[in-house]
Amino acid sequence: MKRLRKLKSVLGLAGIILIAILVSPVAADGSNIFLQAGNLTDVLRQMSVIGIIAVAMTFVILTAGIDLSVGSILAFATCLTGMFITRSSPGSSHFAQAALAVTVAVGASALVGAANGVVISAFRIQPFIVSLASMIGVRGLAKWLSKNENIDIGFGSDAAASFAGFVNQKVVIVGAFAVLAAIFWIVLDRTVFGRYVRAIGDNEKAGRYSGLPIRSVKIAVYTLSGLLTGIAGVLYAAENHQGNPNAGVAYELDAIAAVVIGGTSLMGGSGSIAGTIVGTLIMGVLTNILRLRNVDSNVEMMVKAVIIVLAVAIQKSEKAE
Amino acid sequence: MSGGPEPLIQLDGVNKHYDGAQALRDASFSVAKGEVHALVGENGAGKSTLSKIIAGAVQPDAATVRWRGEPVRISSPIAAQRLGIGIVFQELDLFPNLSIAENIVIGNVRMERSPWVNRKELSRFCAAHLEQVGLAASPWTLVRDLPIAHMQLVAIARALSFDARLILMDEPTSSLADDAVDRLFALIRRLRSAGVSVVYVSHKMKEIFEIADRITVLRDGSTIGTRNAADTNIDEIIGMMVGRAIGSESLAPSGPPGEVVLSAAGVTTQKLRGVTFDLHRGEILGVAGLVGAGRSELGAALFGLDPIRGGSVHLNGREFHPRSPADAIRRRFGLLPEDRKLQGLMMQMSVLENTSIAILGRLARWSFLSHSREKGVAMPVLQRMALKSASPEAGVSSLSGGNQQKVLLAKWLLTNPDVLFLDDPTRGIDVGAKRDIYHIIQDLAGQGKGVLFVSSELPELLQCCHRILVLREGRNMGIVDARTATQEQIMKLATAEPVAA
Repeated sequence: MKRLRKLKSVLGLAGIILIAILVSPVAADGSNIFLQAGNLTDVLRQMSVIGIIAVAMTFVILTAGIDLSVGSILAFATCLTGMFITRSSPGSSHFAQAALAVTVAVGASALVGAANGVVISAFRIQPFIVSLASMIGVRGLAKWLSKNENIDIGFGSDAAASFAGFVNQKVVIVGAFAVLAAIFWIVLDRTVFGRYVRAIGDNEKAGRYSGLPIRSVKIAVYTLSGLLTGIAGVLYAAENHQGNPNAGVAYELDAIAAVVIGGTSLMGGSGSIAGTIVGTLIMGVLTNILRLRNVDSNVEMMVKAVIIVLAVAIQKSEKAE
Repeated sequence: MSGGPEPLIQLDGVNKHYDGAQALRDASFSVAKGEVHALVGENGAGKSTLSKIIAGAVQPDAATVRWRGEPVRISSPIAAQRLGIGIVFQELDLFPNLSIAENIVIGNVRMERSPWVNRKELSRFCAAHLEQVGLAASPWTLVRDLPIAHMQLVAIARALSFDARLILMDEPTSSLADDAVDRLFALIRRLRSAGVSVVYVSHKMKEIFEIADRITVLRDGSTIGTRNAADTNIDEIIGMMVGRAIGSESLAPSGPPGEVVLSAAGVTTQKLRGVTFDLHRGEILGVAGLVGAGRSELGAALFGLDPIRGGSVHLNGREFHPRSPADAIRRRFGLLPEDRKLQGLMMQMSVLENTSIAILGRLARWSFLSHSREKGVAMPVLQRMALKSASPEAGVSSLSGGNQQKVLLAKWLLTNPDVLFLDDPTRGIDVGAKRDIYHIIQDLAGQGKGVLFVSSELPELLQCCHRILVLREGRNMGIVDARTATQEQIMKLATAEPVAA
């Protein structure tokens, strides 16, 4: 049954790709624009930031939780990246400065995630509420740190420019997504931690009666969510050449949508990284083809809404069988 | 029958089965006008099912129901309300965030004729009924702010508000203090003299003999008989409840008991009042008592789920006060919980994953799990369980209740406990699987483990255990020798007042 579900979301992806090929505009030389290598790698690059967040979100949702704060954490991470990469620090190499900026951004994001996890498990407040509060608070923090202005990461020859120049390559961005997805696929399928994540989401009470370290697992899952979102933030900063306190608005919803389209149940306990990758690809291809057809971005949102509901409805009907 | 000229309600040939288990078979029950009629039976005898059928909450497979001599069908709780049947359920089904007044009129067909709420009229309407039950509270108090005894009065007021002629009370005193019980009984007597009939479902013999006019006994889903309270006594009623013992040669391994493995002295928690016993290696100690007597609470206290406030526990001669189940498991104490689905199984996981969940830390290398190693450790135990399951990869949800219970037993065997607390391990499973589970339990004792075996079925305890600890309202009522004790003796300990207070 699990295999069948995976198959269905893959079929969904195949369907979307087929439609994309059929409706794609044709270039002057008669080639299909959607299928051009440049466009296909663009699809991958555009979906990588959301994809990385969605990988972490899969773990959170598997425990029957939710993390609404990822969009704000992403903005927070872009600001920290921007601030630390543009600081004048004579004497240190470009590499050392970039390493510091990345470490601070990713580390601070992980700390925010850990704080979410601690509050959720220590005070037993619903993850929705805690991460909603965090979504508001961390957005404020990002704006306050950046004094509500974008921090430009330039194109010159300073540390900032060489950092952005390196990271903003398709191979680095897509590579980061691929490597992280692979690592966490293995973590979920092969490690004790992964098994605990699924077990707790399946039946937390039974987990307690089995002596599982429920608190630690929950804290770990939200820390992971902050950490991966921090990495996504670094990529975003390089891609857009700026630290942006207004970045990532509604990204949590895109990530949740990708996870859910990939067949992970919001009730927890059932789902996979493979599904999330497929879900992310479906959203990515859909966005790409709509933009190639110059569809109004508002219409784009409406189409996405239909796709999300359709995807989940199909999974429900399977369960009923 | 001596119930007057014409019964208010008369049920005959009531049959009901759930998932293969027969809850009621050809049961009958009749209540006269203006009487208090107690409905008694062991756990699982069919009292709740019969009450729910009268309340319209459950539909029987077959039954003839007459209300004031007219054949009727109680197709829903609304239909019951229209007839004049009110219910005060054990798990008080009130809306805690609504006011007393709103709780009284909610679902009241007459009051809800208009979509608008007239607060003044509502207030007047409710005040009258609150006075009737003797509750001096503003109708606008939120129900969640009331003590539990008052919530019950609200439920009774609700029944009276639609002119109920029959009020069904399920274990109404289970969470009441003594003075609240007295006030409730005074109210019941007032209702009776006003011509209202009360069906009183309870375990508590003393109360039943205090309040009931007649007593009907159910056993295994059948009506055993109805007696006038004045013409019978506790012994006769208990005899009717337990019936005769079924063929029961003892299964418990003989041989001298080993050393003491678990020793509890005066264990006190929120629900337990000084429970004391010794459990020996190789011994199966039964734990008997009615629902709410503290059986599961004893498990929760020993397993680190419920803080121990007084007394002491020693495991293998060392002080044992686990802070959590994980702690208890490390000290080699295991607990098979009462509710298989709620507390035991991960329904979306496989048989193998459910079996190994408690020992993953030990199975893993560098926190990585090897599927073949996991199978290698779990399979021998699963096979010993005579588990007729397709494959270890099968979803545990696809198994029968008995096989699911075996998976959970296998999980606990893998943790290699010195003491295993089995909370009603044979509840809701078929006869064949029960027999298998008895043998597994005997095996465990044979290996020198101490087993605590909770069950609601006395024949099962008498057959499987060496000794039986009887609990009542959190108190230790005595430990009897399973080879010489009778069901009547245990039932009396479990229901009657202590001999010396």
